[in-house]
Formats: sequence, structure tokens, C-alpha cells
Amino acid sequence: MNVGLEHFQIVSAVLFGIGLLGVLIRRNIFVIYMGLEMMLNAANLSLVSFSRFNNDLDGQLMVFFVITVAAAEVAVGLALLVALYRKRQSAHVEELTTLKL
Amino acid sequence: MNAGLLLLEYAVIGLALLVVALDLFCHDSDRRRQIGLVASGCLAAICAYSFLIHPEGSAFGGAYVMDPLALWFKRFFLLTGVIVMVVSTEYAKQFETGVSEYYVLQLFALTGMLFAASANHFMLLFVALELMTVTFYVLVGYMRQRVSSLEAGVKYLVLAAMSSAFLIYGIALVYGVSGTMDFTQLGNRLQADHDLTGNVVLRLGMLLLFLGLAFKLAAFPVQIWAPDVYEGAPTPTTAFLAAGSKAVGVVLLLRLMGQAAYEFALGSEKLLMIVAGLTILYGSLCALPQRNLKRMLGYSSIASAGYLLMGFAAMSASGSVAILYYMAGYLFSVLGAFAVVAVVANRAGAADVGALAGLSRRNPLMAATLTMAMVSLAGIPPLAGFFGKFLIFKSVLEQGVNYGAYYYLVGVAIFGVIVSLYYYFNVIRAVYWSKDSADLTPIEISSPLRYTLWACIGGMLWLGLYPQVVLKSAAAATALLKLPSLN
Repeated sequence: MNVGLEHFQIVSAVLFGIGLLGVLIRRNIFVIYMGLEMMLNAANLSLVSFSRFNNDLDGQLMVFFVITVAAAEVAVGLALLVALYRKRQSAHVEELTTLKL
Repeated sequence: MNAGLLLLEYAVIGLALLVVALDLFCHDSDRRRQIGLVASGCLAAICAYSFLIHPEGSAFGGAYVMDPLALWFKRFFLLTGVIVMVVSTEYAKQFETGVSEYYVLQLFALTGMLFAASANHFMLLFVALELMTVTFYVLVGYMRQRVSSLEAGVKYLVLAAMSSAFLIYGIALVYGVSGTMDFTQLGNRLQADHDLTGNVVLRLGMLLLFLGLAFKLAAFPVQIWAPDVYEGAPTPTTAFLAAGSKAVGVVLLLRLMGQAAYEFALGSEKLLMIVAGLTILYGSLCALPQRNLKRMLGYSSIASAGYLLMGFAAMSASGSVAILYYMAGYLFSVLGAFAVVAVVANRAGAADVGALAGLSRRNPLMAATLTMAMVSLAGIPPLAGFFGKFLIFKSVLEQGVNYGAYYYLVGVAIFGVIVSLYYYFNVIRAVYWSKDSADLTPIEISSPLRYTLWACIGGMLWLGLYPQVVLKSAAAATALLKLPSLN
């Protein structure tokens, strides 16, 4: 079997979908965060494969930026999550109800 | 390579580093707080300088452009930065630690905004947006001792990261189909090849891209974060989000729709109209029962995003001029309102509408600013907000000749304006006529903040009474967009 652009794109779309589903239906905030990372990586896979099949390096370059930004996001995000966990002793999103009408 | 064009960005980054260095020489937190005054002074100088220069050109192989549109928004962001910095200096009394870091982070977010105004390449767009967004995660969750601030931070983190993921996946799809990340080249390719416009993958990519940017605007259906985050975040951060972050969404959408993907944008009026109408309805109706001022302003900011999107839906030169004018009026109104809320909520410990009782006697200047801001946001003549809304409605009505649905959109918007009168005037009533005020001690404010409030009042009046200057600059800034002019 010849692995073509479509295969990469389908895998990345499926990954993106799984990540999105994780963000939407999981209740643990750390698992939600993992879902977000998966969405970003799905986009990375898509970028790299497009870059390879378009014969253009911009996509590969973009992935470096995405990875760097994602790392910064994780650093800030986990710090926030840990700070919140210390206050609440819980990582469940149902309990984030201080801010409501 | 034309690095001289980035002078304003260099200056802001340099100022941020200066603030870090100054922090080393301050040994108590009161001294540290004063650094904010230095920072706002320097920022005001940078802002004044930006009004004197007219650079044009591009750098980094066309990824960074300096054109009238970019310059207009850079001035906007710098002005926002100055006002927010003054308010932060007043607000910083509440921070136990990390006072100067708060200023530094704001300057970094400002740098992200300045770069976003010039982005002409998806890579710069993404990096600039993330520089701003990641900094805002910290700024929103800055009051670590308060659960509400942390909760707002986490909510903003999850939703903003999700919108970033949509954005980057959208960029990937657009790049994959068009083969370029450069806006100019993308525009040329879409113009040359009409089959490209109809491509399903490209359409999906553009839709995801739109969702990612609409998040910054707080437009339906990605508006859910706004009320929670506005309420929980420290008030200067909220003000910065309301004016700065929204304007970033506006400038990027303008550039994408007017330059890069014009052929594509032409087919999407219907989508924009539906999104604009729903955003206005959601914002106006949900604001009605709110008692918390910051939360109410959060919903009002959603409604404003709806009015801005109406200008986009008009797809005309007059629509984009109206958008810029509306943003200019919005800057003074919303920053004036948040400056007052920051001080009052600080005193009362809560940002309830009830906390405003007796404000007219406690500090007449603050009462006047808040009243004018509310009147301007509600869109009542002769203030800035009225003229902005009027221009947007006019540009949409002009298009009604071609397509009848525009009339319905204006109908929805007028309904939104009428509903909004109720909650804006609720605030004014609390300021002047509320009887249940326990505390009538005068509120003292520092003189920089007093000047800032006067500047906000002056800005609202000036824009409303003498709109020509800003209208002319807005017309010059949007002249390079490909939108058709009806006149």
C-alpha cells in the first residue's frame, strides 16, 4: 500500500476529533489538558504532511513554532492548574462554579 | 531586511526589560508600585511618538508589514497600554507580591498585540497571538490568593487553548490547499484560481480560522469565556482584554478578509450576518439580569463584538471605516468604565452594581466618567459610541439594496440597542439616585488616574463631536483593503 497525503490527513483529523471529544466530555481538568495537546499535535501532523507533499518548508517551520508555543502553554497552564488544585483539592470541572450568575 | 520598522516593538520590549531592571533597585512593594508610573510615562512617550511617524514597508520577507492599517492599530494598542498601565498602578496596591512582574507581563502582551497588527503571514499571526494569549493566562489568574481569579485563569486557559488549536488546524488546512502561508501570495492565488475558492477543505480551514479569531472578539459561538473571565480577572487585565484583545481579533479579521482571502470572504456574508445577529442577541439579553458590574460589562463586550461583526458583514469600505471608528470610541468608553470599576470594586470588595451607590457624592469625577462611558456604550448622542453604532448601521443599510436580509440584521441590532439601554441605565441610576448607601466617605484617587479619567471623558466627547479626524485616519487606514466602495 502506498501511504499518501490522504492517509496522513485522515489520521490527523481523527486525532483532532479525539482531542476535541476529550476536551468536551472528560471531567478531569488534567485529562482535558491532554486533549488540548492532542489537538495541537494533530494540527502539527497535518502541517508536516502538507509541507512534505507541497514541497514547501513553511509548514515544517511552523511546527517548530507550534511546539515551542505549546511548551510555553503547558508551563503556564500546569502552574495555574496546580495553584487551583491547592485551593480546591479537586481537579473536576464541575466544581469550578465560583463564577456564575 | 528592514528592522527599523519594528521600532515601536523594540521600544516596548526595551521598556519591559527596564521595568525588570528597576525592580532590582526597589526594596519595598510601595516603591515597586511606583515603577508603574515610570512605565506609563515611557509608554505615553512611545505612544506620542507613534503618532508622529509614518513608516511604510515590510520586513522578514513580507511576513511583517507596516502599512497605515498596522500603524492605526499600533497607535490604538499603545494608547490602550498607557491607560491600562495607569489603572494597574492604582490597582497594584492589592498585590502582595509580584507587582512589577504584572507591569512586565502587560508590556509583553502589548508587544504581542503590536506584532499582530503587522502580521502578514500565518506564522507571525500565530506567534503574535500566542504571545498575547499565553501572557493573558498569567494576567487573568494573577490574584493567586483568590479562587475566582484562578478559576477565571483556568477557564480562559482551556477555552483559549482550544481556540488556538482550531486556529492552527485551520492554518494547516488553508496552507495545505493553497500551498502558501503568506497573505499576499494567498490573495494572489485565490484571485488567479477560482476553483480554489470553492474547495471544501479550504472552506473548512477558513471556518476554523474564523472561529479562532472570533474567540478573541468574543463572538458567538465562542463567547462563553467572556463573562467568567471578565469577572474573575484583576480589573486592569479585564480592561486590557476588553479593548486590546478584541482589537487584535478585529485587525486580523480585517486583514484576512480585506486582503488575503477577499475572494473567499465575499461568499460568507450570510454566515457573518447570522453570527453577528446571534452575538448581539446573546450579549444584550444575558446582560439584563446581571448584578455584577464586570460580568455585565463582559456581556456588553459580547454585544459590541456583534456590532463589529455587522461592519464585517457589510463587506464594504464604509463598513470597515465604521469598524475602526467604533473601536476608537469603544477604547475610551470601556477603559473609562473599567478604570472606575477598578477603584470602586477595590474599596467595596465586590464589583456589584450596589457598590456604586452614592458614587456621585463620593467622587464626582468618577461618577461622571462612568456615566459617560455607559451613555457612550449604550449609543446615545452626542458621545463616541452613538456615532460608531450609527456608522455601522448605515454601512449595513447601504448593502440592504443588494440583499434584503441586511434590513433584518439592522432590526435585530436596534432591538439589541434598546434592550441594552435598560442595563446601562441601571448603572447610572445606582450612581446618582441609589439611596441605600452605607459608606459616603470620599474616594481619593491619584493624580495620574485623574488625568486618565479626564482623557477618557475628553476622548468620548471629542470623537462624538468632531469625528472627522478619526474618520479620515480610519479611511486612510482601510484604503488598502480590497473592499468595494459604494460612493
